[in-house]
Amino acid sequence: MQTSEPELKAWMISGLGGDAAAHACLLRALIPMLRGFFRRRMPGQGAAIEDLIQETLIAVHTRRATYDPQRPITGWLFAIARYKMIDQFRASSRYCSIEGLEDMLVTEGFAEASDAATDIDRLLDDLSPKQAAVIRATRLEGLSVAETAARERIGESDVKISVHRGLRLLATRVKDSLR
Amino acid sequence: MTSEELIERLTRDFRPVQRHALGWRLCAGLGLGAAVSFLLVVRLGFRPDLWIAMHGFAFWMKWVYTASLGACAVAATAKLARPDTPPLSWLWVLAMPVLGLAAISVAELAHAPSDHWLEMWLGRSWKVCSSTVFLLSLPIFAGLLWSFRRLAPTRLRAAGATAGLTAGAWGATLYCLHCPEVSAIFVLTWYSLGIGLASLAGALLGPRLLRW
Repeated sequence: MQTSEPELKAWMISGLGGDAAAHACLLRALIPMLRGFFRRRMPGQGAAIEDLIQETLIAVHTRRATYDPQRPITGWLFAIARYKMIDQFRASSRYCSIEGLEDMLVTEGFAEASDAATDIDRLLDDLSPKQAAVIRATRLEGLSVAETAARERIGESDVKISVHRGLRLLATRVKDSLR
Repeated sequence: MTSEELIERLTRDFRPVQRHALGWRLCAGLGLGAAVSFLLVVRLGFRPDLWIAMHGFAFWMKWVYTASLGACAVAATAKLARPDTPPLSWLWVLAMPVLGLAAISVAELAHAPSDHWLEMWLGRSWKVCSSTVFLLSLPIFAGLLWSFRRLAPTRLRAAGATAGLTAGAWGATLYCLHCPEVSAIFVLTWYSLGIGLASLAGALLGPRLLRW
């Protein structure tokens, strides 16, 4: 299961302040996220993926001073993961040429992705905590209705209704803001 | 090694990161490099009329030009030192000092008889100006490379180019202490050429030297 952005951020900030336990929590939580990230992009390369995960963890650790607490941590993390992945492709020089690296990194658009994450956070803030939680679980983290119901300790029909009402509310908010 | 062992090893003797560590790291590299370049300028010798020149327009025109380029370049380098670089569309402001100096050049040329133009453009030191600016940029560029060893650029060519621009612009700022030229068109041509060469070198070397 994915750890939420605020939780990761809180660990990161405590870690930057010198809390080794929080930093270890952060690194542990990143492993499944990175595994998902690399698996989607490099299907069927299990061993390479495990190496990349460790490389990325080391980079996150040694270069944690480059994290800006004003910005989303997932944007920062995946930017590092993507860089490490492309670096590895380049080293094995099977998948892409050295020349195109900048363009690939630019066009992948981290800034847009992190801005989008911030926008989603802002929109979900307008909803009730329950609606926000179930929308996050079902639509962003990709859990099933049953898993969400179990995690949030509410009924399955309640999950469905909350998602439906929440999304309808969001749709009207967005429409209003565009008008 | 399992991931758990790795995490165990990484969090052993764990140290806090001081606030604004990235900024300090860049400033330290820039400062160390600039100190070396400054010593080189001392060796070249300050212009003899430095104190008098500092009361005049031409000296400050040159300093404002190179230092404003340098300040923009440092800001862009600091952005590119993070993996998730925000958009750098604001870099168009770099055109402002260039256009400003171009306007001063045109005004100066318009007020001078046309048979002085060539002399104003070439000055007495055009042959050495650009290459000296470029040489003075090298220690600063090396300092920035040291800074980058702990940072995480992902757009290596862009980061190399802005590091080169930073080095060139601050190298030129120090060179002003030596160079006695006064005309705007001279600075616009030969200083900019040296600064441009430094950023070109940075862009070419960036992907190789900034890898991590």
